[in-house]
Amino acid sequence: MTRTIRIARESVRMMGKNKFRVFIMMLGMAVGVASLTLMMCVSKGAYERVMDTVNRQGPDLLQIRPGTDVQTGLPSGSREVVSLIEEDVRAILQHVGNIRAAAPVKDRKEIEVIYEDKFTLTRIFGVIPVWAQIRNFGPSQGEFISEEDVSFAARVCLIGQTVKKNLFGDQDPIGQTIRINNVPFTIKGDLQWKGISSAGRDRDNRIVIPITTYTRRLFRDMHLTQIVITVEDTKKINKTIEDVKTTLRDQHNITSGEPDDFAMRTPQDLIDLAYGTSRSLMNLLTGIAAVSLLVAGIVIMNIMLASVAARKSEIGIRRAIGARKKDVLKQFMIEGLFISLIGGLMGIFLGMGGSVILSSLDVTASKITPMAIAVVILSCGLIAVVFGIFPAKKAANQNPIDTLRV
Amino acid sequence: MLEELRMIKANKIEKTYSKAAILTPVLNNITLSIQKGEYVAIMGTSGSGKSTLMYILGCLDKPTKGELELDGIDVYGMDDDALSALRNKKIGFVFQQFFLLERTTALDNVLLPLIYADEYPDDAIQRGRQVLAQVGLEDRVEYLANELSGGQQQRVAIARALINDPDVIFADEPTGNLDSQSTAEILDILDHLHQEGRTIVIVTHDLTVANHAQRILELKDGRIAEIKNP
Repeated sequence: MTRTIRIARESVRMMGKNKFRVFIMMLGMAVGVASLTLMMCVSKGAYERVMDTVNRQGPDLLQIRPGTDVQTGLPSGSREVVSLIEEDVRAILQHVGNIRAAAPVKDRKEIEVIYEDKFTLTRIFGVIPVWAQIRNFGPSQGEFISEEDVSFAARVCLIGQTVKKNLFGDQDPIGQTIRINNVPFTIKGDLQWKGISSAGRDRDNRIVIPITTYTRRLFRDMHLTQIVITVEDTKKINKTIEDVKTTLRDQHNITSGEPDDFAMRTPQDLIDLAYGTSRSLMNLLTGIAAVSLLVAGIVIMNIMLASVAARKSEIGIRRAIGARKKDVLKQFMIEGLFISLIGGLMGIFLGMGGSVILSSLDVTASKITPMAIAVVILSCGLIAVVFGIFPAKKAANQNPIDTLRV
Repeated sequence: MLEELRMIKANKIEKTYSKAAILTPVLNNITLSIQKGEYVAIMGTSGSGKSTLMYILGCLDKPTKGELELDGIDVYGMDDDALSALRNKKIGFVFQQFFLLERTTALDNVLLPLIYADEYPDDAIQRGRQVLAQVGLEDRVEYLANELSGGQQQRVAIARALINDPDVIFADEPTGNLDSQSTAEILDILDHLHQEGRTIVIVTHDLTVANHAQRILELKDGRIAEIKNP
């Protein structure tokens, strides 16, 4: 058995003799580490939630809206501006390469929809069949809008999951007739579940109808609220974005030096938002966790200093019977390290528990990762060294004569 | 005196403490020699420097000036680590306050010096039990230090001093906190150790205790004032 192992065993034995003091130090550490663990899980969860939205929307998707407004960090356009028309879509398809598909979209929100004695407010989208592939928004059951539906401006629709729940509950809606703005529509299918958008909107509270039906039978809007595009090769997306912009500026007769009258939302915008959101949250939570860990470190240092003062005669007798200064240093450092690591493990479990609770209550997204655990364990070791070294040195440098004199 | 028979040789030892630029001389020109197997008492009134002399002879403190040899080894220039190793190997200490670890068994207290030994013996526990038996505590091995009487605690302290089989035992007022019966028991143990051939240096202000030694050095104002043979 090496000297260091003997000293480590002695450290553990002495910790066992001072359970309450050791428990208080571990508790301080556990609270600090729990907040660090929770911080890492929450920021990772928040980042992944936004990235999930990006992936669900598709890494090859471009969205063009009229106007140049920005909301919640994303180009959102403006409903007051009328700059996009169906001719723009045809121009893009004709002049820009690397386009897989493009679709015009018209929509209005808070439209009254009635089924028998039930009523709901929802968003109505006028689209063409290819929209379902572009937005990855096909039917979960039934059929999507066909070219024929568009040609004949058929009064057919697909309803989102929230609309289905509000109007039909558990009943099968396919084949039923609902009234949109008092116009009867037959339900062809219901849309796949999509959840909440990055802007916090319920993407399932919508009804999709043929774009021709939208214009001829409901709202008479001539202007588009969106053009959606998917590209063939995402590596060339930047060039495609520039080409689309040039084409639209030409279509809208915008001269050099004048600003665009449209806004384009790209996958990079969403990724930047994800990083930005994650980074802001991370900065805030890191600050909180750093303060908690600092407090934990100070608690450990103070209790260890008090312990060194209370154990003067123990240190004196150890030195008298042959302990070197570095042996005493080691003993106190090992005590600090054990306390930090065990307290840290307690904190990791507390933090992970908190993370699971937050996720299950849907307060915030949270994800436990091995990286987070590794960072936390390293932090514990660092705290043990930084805050344990001073009391340990103080113990090691005590003059045994001073502690042994009566 | 033959060099190989000498355990301690101190030549012109001086010790001066300085605090806030005030110098306080404690030991002045101490020259002495202690033979292997000798039992020596250092006597003196409070503040005479007897404990300071014991700490210097026991390598716990360093003299301000002078030469010191322990078993032929020049300890004056040794660094802290070397002095610690020397104390562990060659010296056993017994103090008035016992200085046992509380809430720790008699056996664990006795085994403490082995933690800092170069090699940890395989038969450590057996050896611990043996030295406890040597001081009459074979039935108190697993008792916690705070469950023992004063006399028993001092016997554990003696057993701890013996565990590394030291060449010399330094005892600083070992009976100062004990009743007369325990005092007699502790002195018997020290007498017995001396008869076994151990070198013993005892610091005391009590002549009855000092009379157990072969030689008494009386310190007065930091100097050896008198050498007596009881």
